[in-house]
Parts: sequence; C-alpha cells; structure tokens
Amino acid sequence: MSHQAMQHAEDFRAGHALGLDHRKLGMWLFIASEVMFFGGLISAYLHYKYTLGFPETTDLNVVLVGINTMVLLTSSYTVVSALTAIRQGRQGRFAALLLLTILLGVAFLTGQLYEFADLYRQGVTLTSGVFGSSFFTLTGFHGLHVAVGVLWAIVTLFRGLRGTLNAEHNMAVEIFGLYWHFVDIVWIVLFTQIYLIV
Amino acid sequence: MTTASASVSWRRYFWWNTDHKVIGVQYIVTSFFFFILGGALAGLVRAELASPATDLLDGATYNQVMTNHGTLMIFLWVLPVLAGFGNYLIPLMIGARDMVFPRLNALSYWMIPPAGMLMIASFFAGGAEAGWTAYVPLSIGGPPGQTLWALSVMLLGISAIFGAINFLATVIMMRAPGLSIWRLPLFVWGMIATSTLILTATPVLTSGLIMVALDRVVGTHFFTVTSGGDPVLWQNLFWFYSHPAVYIMILPAMGIISEIFPVFARKPIFGYRMIAMSSMAIAILGLTVWAHHMFTSGMDPRLRVPYMVSSMVIAVPTGIKIFSWLATIWNGKLRLTTPMLFALGFISMFLIGGLTGIFLAAIPVDLHVHDTYFVVAHLHFVLFGGSVSAVYAGLYYWFPKITGRMYDEKIGRTHFALNFIGTNLAYLPMFIAGLMGMPRRVAAYDASFTSYNQWATLGALILAASTLPFLYNAVLSWARGPKAAANPWQALTLEWQTSSPPPPENFPEIPTATGDPYDYGEPSPAAEPAAAPAAG
Amino acid sequence: MRERTLFISAIVGIGLIAAGFAVATQANVMPPEASTRAVAVDQLFRILLGVSTVIFLLVEGALVFAVLRFRQRPGDDRPGPAIHGNTSLEILWTLIPAAIVVVIGVYSFQVLAAIEVPGLGPRVVEVVARQFSWQFRYPEADLATTELHLPVGQPVIFQISAEDVIHSFWVPAFRAKRDATPGQISELAMTPIEVGRFPIRCAELCGAGHAIMTSEVVVESVEDFDAWLAEQQAMANDPAQIFLTMGCGACHVLTVAATTGTIGPSLDDLPGVAGTRLAGVGAADYVEQSILAPDDFIVSGFPPGLMPKTFFQRLTPDQIERLAAFLLDQP
Repeated sequence: MSHQAMQHAEDFRAGHALGLDHRKLGMWLFIASEVMFFGGLISAYLHYKYTLGFPETTDLNVVLVGINTMVLLTSSYTVVSALTAIRQGRQGRFAALLLLTILLGVAFLTGQLYEFADLYRQGVTLTSGVFGSSFFTLTGFHGLHVAVGVLWAIVTLFRGLRGTLNAEHNMAVEIFGLYWHFVDIVWIVLFTQIYLIV
Repeated sequence: MTTASASVSWRRYFWWNTDHKVIGVQYIVTSFFFFILGGALAGLVRAELASPATDLLDGATYNQVMTNHGTLMIFLWVLPVLAGFGNYLIPLMIGARDMVFPRLNALSYWMIPPAGMLMIASFFAGGAEAGWTAYVPLSIGGPPGQTLWALSVMLLGISAIFGAINFLATVIMMRAPGLSIWRLPLFVWGMIATSTLILTATPVLTSGLIMVALDRVVGTHFFTVTSGGDPVLWQNLFWFYSHPAVYIMILPAMGIISEIFPVFARKPIFGYRMIAMSSMAIAILGLTVWAHHMFTSGMDPRLRVPYMVSSMVIAVPTGIKIFSWLATIWNGKLRLTTPMLFALGFISMFLIGGLTGIFLAAIPVDLHVHDTYFVVAHLHFVLFGGSVSAVYAGLYYWFPKITGRMYDEKIGRTHFALNFIGTNLAYLPMFIAGLMGMPRRVAAYDASFTSYNQWATLGALILAASTLPFLYNAVLSWARGPKAAANPWQALTLEWQTSSPPPPENFPEIPTATGDPYDYGEPSPAAEPAAAPAAG
Repeated sequence: MRERTLFISAIVGIGLIAAGFAVATQANVMPPEASTRAVAVDQLFRILLGVSTVIFLLVEGALVFAVLRFRQRPGDDRPGPAIHGNTSLEILWTLIPAAIVVVIGVYSFQVLAAIEVPGLGPRVVEVVARQFSWQFRYPEADLATTELHLPVGQPVIFQISAEDVIHSFWVPAFRAKRDATPGQISELAMTPIEVGRFPIRCAELCGAGHAIMTSEVVVESVEDFDAWLAEQQAMANDPAQIFLTMGCGACHVLTVAATTGTIGPSLDDLPGVAGTRLAGVGAADYVEQSILAPDDFIVSGFPPGLMPKTFFQRLTPDQIERLAAFLLDQP
C-alpha cells in the first residue's frame, strides 16, 4: 500500500512541476462541468424571464432568502477558517468550525424549504406554470447540491475527529472547501438573477 | 512474463478492474456490440426504404427503429469506442502507469452496460420515436420508452464527463520526464481537445434532458406551448452539446489518423504543431456554431449569420490537417497495410463529408437541404466514412499491442475494400435524393427517389457483409493469431516501447522522452526505455 | 525540370478548373426553379459544387498519385526524408482556404439578404401544420383550404405555425423551408415564377405520419387563381369540402371523398355502425362527439391520442352538424 503511494507521488512529477495536486485538479475540472450544468438550467430560467415575464416574482420572499444568502456566505467563511485551523494542527477548532458550517448549511436548506412551502401555499408549484417549473428545478438542484455538501461535510468532520485528517494530510478538507465555495457562488448568481433583478 | 495465466486473463474483462488497459478493452468490445445492434437497426431502415411504400414497418415502428439506430450509434458506439482508445492509449503514450483516477475510470465504464440495457429496455417499453434529436413537443408526448431513453443518455453523459476529467488530469499530471507539451503524440492532443468539449458541452445536454424528463413524468411546463413554453429552447440546449458532440466524435479519430500516417510512410508527421493547434481551434470554434442546425427554426434571421460564418471558418483548421496528412505521405515510403488503407479511405470519405458541410453552412442552400437526405449523406460520410474508418484503422494498428497477436493482413484488406465500396455506394446517392426533394426520417417516399434508395440499400448490404471478415479476423487472430513483437510497425511512440501486450504496470521502468514522437528518417530515437521491451 | 513541373501544374490546374466548371454547369440534381429564390440558391449551389469539385479532385488526386508513386519498393528499408514542415506551404494552405471561405461567406450572405426580403405588395398566406396534414388560410378571403394555390409572379409571405408538434413547411421547387412551430408564427417570403404543380413535404419528424404529410402547391395564372379562390369561397360550407379542408382524409378512408388514410378507422361503414357504438347514443350524436372529443371512444385496433381535439375551435356547431349528416348520408 505504501509502495503504491510512493509510486503515485513519482507518477505525478509533471503535474507537481506545474504546482498542481491531482485531487484538486480533478475537483476543478468537475466544478467546470457543474458550472455548465447550472448554466443550462439558468439559461432556461432567464430565457423565460425575459420573453414571458414572471409575475409570480411578487410572491418571492426577498428578505427571508436574503438572510438565507448571508447564512450560506457565512458558511463559506467558516469553511476557510476550518481549513486554516486544521493546517495549523488545531483539530478542536477545525471540528468546531466544520460543525458550524454544517449547521449553517442545514439552516440554509431549512430556509429554502420554508420559502418553497410558502410559494406552494400561494399556488406557485413545480407544475403550476413556466415560472414554477424553472424556479423550482433551478433552486431545487442547487439545494440538492447543498445537501450533498452537508453530507460530505459530516464525513469530513468524522475523518477529522478520527485524526485521519490532520496538519499533514488535509487535502480532503481543501477539496471539500472548493466544492462548498462553488455551491455558494452558484447561489449568489441564482439569488441575484431570481430575487434581486426583477 | 508477469501476466496472469490464460485461464484467468479473459475473466478480468467481465468484472470490476481498475487497469486502464482492461477498461479500454471493455469500452471497445462493449461499444462494438452496440455497433452491431445499431447496424441491425440500420438494416431494417434500409430494408424498408428499398421500396417507396411503407411495407415492412408501419410509421411509428419505423420511427422507433430509426431513432434507436441513431442513438445507439452515437451514444453507445462512436463516443464510447473512442473513449476506449483514449483509455487504453493515453497512459501508455505519455509513459504513465495508469490514469490519475483508476477507480473513477472503472466507474465510467461500468455506467455503460446499465445505460445500454436501459436504452434497449426503452425500445420494448414503447420506444422513443422522436429521432436522436428528441425535439419537443413530439418527445414530450411520446411513448413511455422516451423517458428511459432520456435517463440512459443522461447516464452516458455523466460517464463521459468522468472520463474527460480523468483524461485531462492524466495528461496534465502524469507525463513521463521529457514529455513536454510539444512532444505529445497527436492522438493525445486530439483527446485533450475532445475532453475539453465533453466537459463544457455535455452538462448542458444533461440539463435539457432533465427538463424533458420532468415535463414527461412530473408535469412541469418547460416545453408546454399553451403555458408559454418554448420548443426552440430545447433545440438550443440540445444542439449546444450535440454540435460539439460531432467534434468529440471526429477529433480522436483524426488523432488516430495522425498516428498512422507517419508510421506507414516512414516520415515525420508534417506540420505537427499546426495539427495540434488545429485540434484545439476546431474544439473552441465547435462550441460557437450550434445554431447552424436551426437555420429554419424561425430564429431571428439576422442572428443566423454569425453561425454561418463560424461554421465556414472551421473549414480552415480542418483543411490544415488534411493538407498536412497529404504532405506527410508525399514522398514517403508507403506501406499499404490495413490500418494505412483505412487511413487513406478516411481522408477520401471525410473530405466529401467536410466539403458538403460547407454547403450546409451556407444558409440559402441549407434552407433547401436541411432535414433532407443531403444531411443524412453528409453525416454518414463524416461519421461512418470518417470516424468509423479511423476506428477500424486504430483497431488494426493497435491490435498487436492490445492482444499480443497479429491479425491476418489479407482478410483485413478484404474488409477495407468491402467497407470502402459499401460506404460510397450507400451514401453518395443520398446526396442527390436530398437535393431532389427527399426529406429525412421517412418510411415512405415519392417514386421518383426509388433508384437512389435502391443503390443505397445495396451499399448498406455490402457494409453489413463487410463486418463479417472483420469479426472473423479479430476473433480468430486474438485467439490463435501469430504472436506479435513489441513493435511490429517499428513505430516511435511510447506504447510501442513496451511489450505486446504491455505488463500490468505498463513499463518496467518509466521511460524518458528525448525526442519527438515522429522522428522517422532521423538517427535519434524518441525514447530511451530503461530496459529493452520484452519479446512478444 | 522546373519547366516540366510548371507545365504539369498548368495542365493539372486547367484540368481541375475545367472539371469544376463542367460539374457546376452540367449537374442536374435540383427540382425545377419555380421561384426567384430558387434561381439565386441554385446559382450559389453551382458555385459551391464547382469549387468543391476542384478541391476534391485536387486532394483526392494527390492522394491517389501518392499511393501509386510512393509505395515502398520491396527490398527498400530506408525511411522517407525527415521533413517536419514547410512554413511557406503551411501559410499558403491556411490563407488560400481562408480566402475561399471569406468569398463564399460574403456571397452566401448576399444571396441570403436577397432571398429573404419579401417582394412588393406580398399576399399573406397562413400555413397551419398538424399531424398529419397541411391547411392554408387566405386571410383577405377568409378562406381555409387543404390545397395551396398561388398566382404566378406575385410575392407571397407565408405565416407558418403548427397546432401540435414541430413540423416543417418545405417546397423543394421553391428552395424554401421554414419550421412550423407550435406557439409561434414564422415568416417565409418567396415569389413563384413558374406555373405548375409542385410537391409540399413536411421536413421535420412529427410522428407516425411524417412521411405521408405531403401536399401540393399549384402555381397558376392570376385569372385561374382568382377563379379558384371564388370557387373555394362558394364551397366553404359544403360538408364534403369541410371534410377535405380539415384534413380528415389524411387518416380516414372515405370513398365518397376519395380519401385513403389508414391511421384511423374507415368512415365508409359509419352509417351502419354509428348508432350501435355507444349505448343510448344516437348515430348523429355519436359522430359529432367523435369529432369534438375524439378520445372518448376509440375503435378497437387503433391507438388513442392521435386525432386532433381542436375541431371544436375550428368548426362552427353548424358545420359540425352538416359534416355528421354528410358522413351518415353516404350511399
């Protein structure tokens, strides 16, 4: 097993010369494809927004979701701090910050579910019209990505608690962080296009 | 030899295995199965079209057969077989022991059999009958199988994206010492360009397919016209991927051709850097032309012009490649082996496909020939005359490397002759039928098109027959052919500097590249393997 | 040696141009040029054909020549010359195709601009596509027909739409095609210049009947057109005409109307069976219900969901009543 690990390090010589880590590179490439995926969904939403007009946007709760956006932004900050912490060997601080990230993520999802429920009460559903279909599909897939991120964060937390992730081996935290920041940035774009620009 | 004994070796191809060489073969053999299946469906199509009336199949069944023919050929044959070549060759060509993410690699392959079975199941659940292009609203209201069809394509797309991540990361991270970017074999360049396209374009198709599936299953209104849904939105999402898809299907093929010509002309490739950069140019330009499939859609007429321009501009890097290949073989010492014959056939037939592409790019002409047999002819010349010829060339060329045995050259040449005659006979008449007024995707046609269709059916029959010598040759040679040397073609790229087949770790020691991979006619070799490659 | 190369190049060059010219002028692979567009499009097509012929013969000729001339002779194990490139040659074969592309692009743009501009005082004709027939409406005459008639020489603007899925309105002889998309109206301008009957074909897969979704455009003199229009207006309430105009014949056999469609059940036996199909429903009611709500009762052996459900919008109750009576009154 360790011989294989050594063999791997030597195999990545070309990439290391460029300053790249293969796992980070893989995550960046994956994120590129995810950007295009959300691009497709956003294009549908914006196409209909600008050709049909969306009267249902008056039913949107800008204040609530605005606060929710702050929650998600804060969680990106806690992730960065968690990464700094584990790099410094401060396992306890790392665990606390990652736990906070998880809680903020769950809070975001709760807020989203509340917004969805509120819209459903007002008759805006996945199948009520073009707005409902494109809104819920777009924000729904984003929410799914957040949920996956929360699960990933929980796994990462456990690995940190067990000591598998520490000051020397913490690439997994950085890679999780990349994913989490991506999900956050997608939300900023979504929030701006759906809630702010009406 | 360190390879496992014969009784164990064939079993590993049917199970989870992270060795890129095993995965490559799994891809190639699995896709060939779907090639035969897709070909059988084509046989049904041509049998129906041998006479003007709808006699063999009724309209709905014909549409299902035609839809699945196209879908199988694109998503389960050409795309995965080229990924298979990429898988097998990239680590070997760059002097690496495997891909960066071997388990992701195995996962990519193992998504294909279930996706394929889903596609076959869809055929029996009330098959998709809206063409491989699945235009809405027709596909929204279609039979239940259309949903399974969409799921299958989504799965295949995700598999391709994982593969692309692996290919790009591997080429960036794992090149052997001395293998700078300008010493990469041109097949690797082709795969770099291809992987870039897969990564950028496929997810957009996925998003569109999700909308179609949701409309069908859940009742969303993405494409419900009465609610304000726009059928043209699907066309944009679909073609944003599906145009680059055709470059995904041709760039690796062109890469294969670039590998073969120098070896069998005993001359360096002509214009290496221009060919490499043309691959990237075609990829990037390929992302800007998708609406040339939509010239008749009713889109803003002025908006069509930029797409005409960018579509015609692609002819320039394509021409650079063709002229460079010609210059490679000019004044060389040509050995007309089977791979070389298929490579020469590739140029001839791809040329016809490419030139007719310019006709299609010219909007006034396109307004006449769009959605006619002119397009069917064009696409088969580039995909069958082009990509499939290159696949065959690659299969013969790397046959000794992959299997450790040599194929029969005479049977190979017979295969080539039948393939070349069949392809031209099948598809040339279709150009004329289209120009004269025969639309595509029809089970019946006006009697004036009969003779063209009969010639085409004859050509298709010859093509069907041509697969027999290939299968016979491949199976028998793999089982009992003469053992092949490490480098029977005296080629210079790194995969030939190790045994045939390579050991599990690819190279006894990682080689160092000291020259370019097409240094024929010059004294310095391309690589100094630390140990002599084991004899076959 | 140089003179020989120059001489051979000149001969080959002249030969190529001659071949290109011959193919371009002699190839006869298009339908009649029945519109002003067709003339311009065919001109562009011929030029593309000529240029492509020259390029094809050049490249293919070089390939065949190389294969014949540069084969490795037995016993000759030497490699070819170590030539990696030639900058001037590469620049040449980049710039010349680029120039050709520019010229073709500009010319295509000019043709496009010319053909898409409507003529003066165009007549508007609405084209409505549905599975699997064409309907044409003349707004000023308040008339709907299944046959397209046009006066020769008069510009037309087609306003094309569809009722169910995407179809595509294509008249090969006019070299004009435009998709019929539900929910939108797409315009297509052209001017017919030749008297005659030309096929109309659907050019976008629209379902099981895509191949049979054909019609005809009749281009005739202005006098003949006016006479036809008057005749059509007189027949607007004739039930047999309604049957044909609504495209019923595309799917139903009705011998008295000489239609042969087999996608739906034959209507020849309707007088005998209409009263017995639904318990308690009389023959006339049954026929009218079958027109207004087609999926309420499906004859066994036929699939549901194919017959349009829009006749309640497109026919007046009076017209439907006449139509039902007509179908039940067959000899």
